[in-house]
Amino acid sequence: MMTSLLLALTLAQYTPQEAQALFVEANDAYYRGDLAAATERYQKLLDAGLGGPDVLFNLGTAHLAAGHLGEAVLFLERAARLSDDDDITVNLAVARHKQVDQVVGEEGSVPFTQRLAAAMDERLVAIAFLVSWWLGFALLWFARRRAKLIPGLVAAVLLLLGAVLGGALGIAANVRENVIEGVVLPDSAKVLEFPGDTAKVAFEVHAGLKVRIMETSGRFVRVRLPNALEGWTQKESVVSL
Amino acid sequence: MARTGSALVIVAALIASAPARAETEFSMQADAEKVGTEDTFRLDIVISNAPEGAVLGLPVSNDFEVLGRSQSTQMSYSVGPGGAGVMTQVQKHTLTMRAGRTGTLVIPYATLTFGGKFIHTNTVTIQAVKGRLQPERTTRRPQANNPFGFPPGFFPPGMDDFDPPPRSEPFAGGNEPVVPRGDSDLFMRMSLDKTEVYVGEQVMITIHLYSRVDLSSVDSVTMPKLDGFLSQDFKSPSQLNSTQRVIGGVPYREYMLRQKAVFPLKPGTVTIEAPEADITTGNILYAGRRVHRKGNELELVVKNLPPGPSTNVVGRWRLSREVSQTEVALGEPVQVKLVLEGRGNLQSVTLPPLGAPPSFRAFDPETTDKATNSRSHVGGSRTIEYTLVPQQTGTFTLPALAVPFFDPEARKYDEMRVDEITLTVRPGTGGANVLTVPGTPTIGGLDGPKNQLVGGGLKSLRHTAHFAAPPKPLSSQPWFVPAALAPVALSVLGSLLGFALGALGQKTPEALKRRDARAAQKRLAAAQKLLKTGSTVAFYEEVERALSGFMTAKLGVPTSALTRAELTAKLSEAKISEAERARILAVLDLCDLGRYAPGMGDASARRKAIDDAAAAMGGWA
Repeated sequence: MMTSLLLALTLAQYTPQEAQALFVEANDAYYRGDLAAATERYQKLLDAGLGGPDVLFNLGTAHLAAGHLGEAVLFLERAARLSDDDDITVNLAVARHKQVDQVVGEEGSVPFTQRLAAAMDERLVAIAFLVSWWLGFALLWFARRRAKLIPGLVAAVLLLLGAVLGGALGIAANVRENVIEGVVLPDSAKVLEFPGDTAKVAFEVHAGLKVRIMETSGRFVRVRLPNALEGWTQKESVVSL
Repeated sequence: MARTGSALVIVAALIASAPARAETEFSMQADAEKVGTEDTFRLDIVISNAPEGAVLGLPVSNDFEVLGRSQSTQMSYSVGPGGAGVMTQVQKHTLTMRAGRTGTLVIPYATLTFGGKFIHTNTVTIQAVKGRLQPERTTRRPQANNPFGFPPGFFPPGMDDFDPPPRSEPFAGGNEPVVPRGDSDLFMRMSLDKTEVYVGEQVMITIHLYSRVDLSSVDSVTMPKLDGFLSQDFKSPSQLNSTQRVIGGVPYREYMLRQKAVFPLKPGTVTIEAPEADITTGNILYAGRRVHRKGNELELVVKNLPPGPSTNVVGRWRLSREVSQTEVALGEPVQVKLVLEGRGNLQSVTLPPLGAPPSFRAFDPETTDKATNSRSHVGGSRTIEYTLVPQQTGTFTLPALAVPFFDPEARKYDEMRVDEITLTVRPGTGGANVLTVPGTPTIGGLDGPKNQLVGGGLKSLRHTAHFAAPPKPLSSQPWFVPAALAPVALSVLGSLLGFALGALGQKTPEALKRRDARAAQKRLAAAQKLLKTGSTVAFYEEVERALSGFMTAKLGVPTSALTRAELTAKLSEAKISEAERARILAVLDLCDLGRYAPGMGDASARRKAIDDAAAAMGGWA
């Protein structure tokens, strides 16, 4: 942890004191109503690789106060992925309340794999997997050498647990690689029937809407709404989380 | 007599000067040479001194459509050379016509038949083109002296409107209106106080009527359409009041009919259509006629506002704000009055919201507009009264307000602003301080306003931060997969190694010894299973076999067939101590005894045997 922090600060050419000073400056700008200056400073920290959940939360909140709904949802969602703090949830709820779009007929159930990936603490599961896996094999070896029954049973249970945890990690990795979510940034973006300038506009989406990015084709990406409504929009209109 | 003679002379003179009818004249004239097929034009047929019983034959042509017809007659008397009176009667027939096709069309002559005679007018040639030419059509101007020699203004109003009003003739030469040729006695003119303005700047449109005849009333005034303008009436007199005005040396009475302040909404050159009016001439003694007059069109150049702050407020404005009190008790209303006043179009000014702190409950404001016109400008004041009721104690600020505007008179941007106001809200002195017994209901009216602490809104910022790049998931780290596969790989390797070692090492004497020793250990473990429940013979045999197997493995020779002496010798050769030898032999003796002697089957004896065997094997190992 300390090593990664030092590495990040070295790359950013900000000392920890400078980073903290920049953070405080941004907060001051926010409180005196200079939201542009506040977001600029938070963004500097972010660009320097110092985007922890606190910086992301403040940046999203400053964008929200400035009325930049797309950016607000983007950074608050990113903060929510790193922390389950209640404040992030509350500000995200405020941002969603201001959204123009209402997705009618949202799919009732998210696929099991996505729910599993969203629910689990991947770091904890990874550690538990490694521990149970190694311990299981060690006990198995011991039981085999000594022909002991109890250690053998414990080893079997541990190996089974390790296999389950390993499978969950595999699912999470698959979801992470293949299920890419994004947020609409501009106030309004046209969604076309196919990726081309001559395509008819199927519908419009607005800032802050969370979509799933399905594929890319040239300047366009295919987006899917939670109710399975799909279309193509300009790449720059959607930023992945 | 002398008086009688004089009277006769006068009568004779009158008889001698009895009016004679002048010669008949007959002519036809159109008011346009070139028309569109969608335009109308007038054809005037004038007969002067028509004989009695004369019949007029109107021109008939399939190329034209007659839309309307009117007729007027005028009598006049004049004294000719030598004092002879001349009576002139003029009949004017006006046809409103429209060309039915394009091309050069000829209106045939009109005829007049009287006393067996037949005379006709000239023909009239009209150039007809497709569409509408009305705004730019060539008007056939009447000659300076009409064919009948009548001076301008000879006909009463309504009869001599040969000349339609000019299209656009703003007052030339300062305030001097241009007198139209045909309607010189009664004409209407529209004027602007500026010909070039900025978007949103005030322009005053004034409509005047100029007359040399008596006017009875102005029945209606039709203002031009003012699309693209916001307009506001400035003056609209209900009575005809005139002022004397000399135009080109001719005295006129000038009547102001309407005055309107307009504010252009978009840049460009705008044409303001001509106004129209219906006027009744005459006075108490003379009943006049109702005539229609049309004024002139005007052009106005509207410019964009110069570069500056983003605003569409134009004029000269001032903003002020008052509060009823700056220190107030909780729940007590505060009146805030925002007053905008100045010159310009009040309706186009939008003020920013008051920006009351959220801890104040703000009621819908009451807005009052009051127009106040100066001599040449419209303006007014707008008063917005807010009622705020504080819901929390503390010190709060009504923020400053600033609205930029463009001052067209100074030709620069200015700003109207009010400074911020600090309001202090202290706790109420009402029922909030009344002590009541817990659980008893409060009496209505005694329960004063409370300091309301309302939740919601955005959560505040983080004030400390842990700066870190978003961590990569543990399972994405490069070492994770090797770490997960390592135990599997190690197990496989261990198994393979064990197998290989087993395969290589089982033929050496030492390996064989170790194998036999392990087999002996296993036998002893099997004997332990017979410790409590197995038969006595089987138990002791198992213990003996275990010990014999162990010794065979250690000594390298089978020991089961050796006598005690031979066994002792072998043990001695193997440098087994005296005590160990004795222990081994004692265990073998115990096993013999246990198989054959009664009383050796109980648990304690078996336990002793197995313990001794284990101790003997342990001491040697």
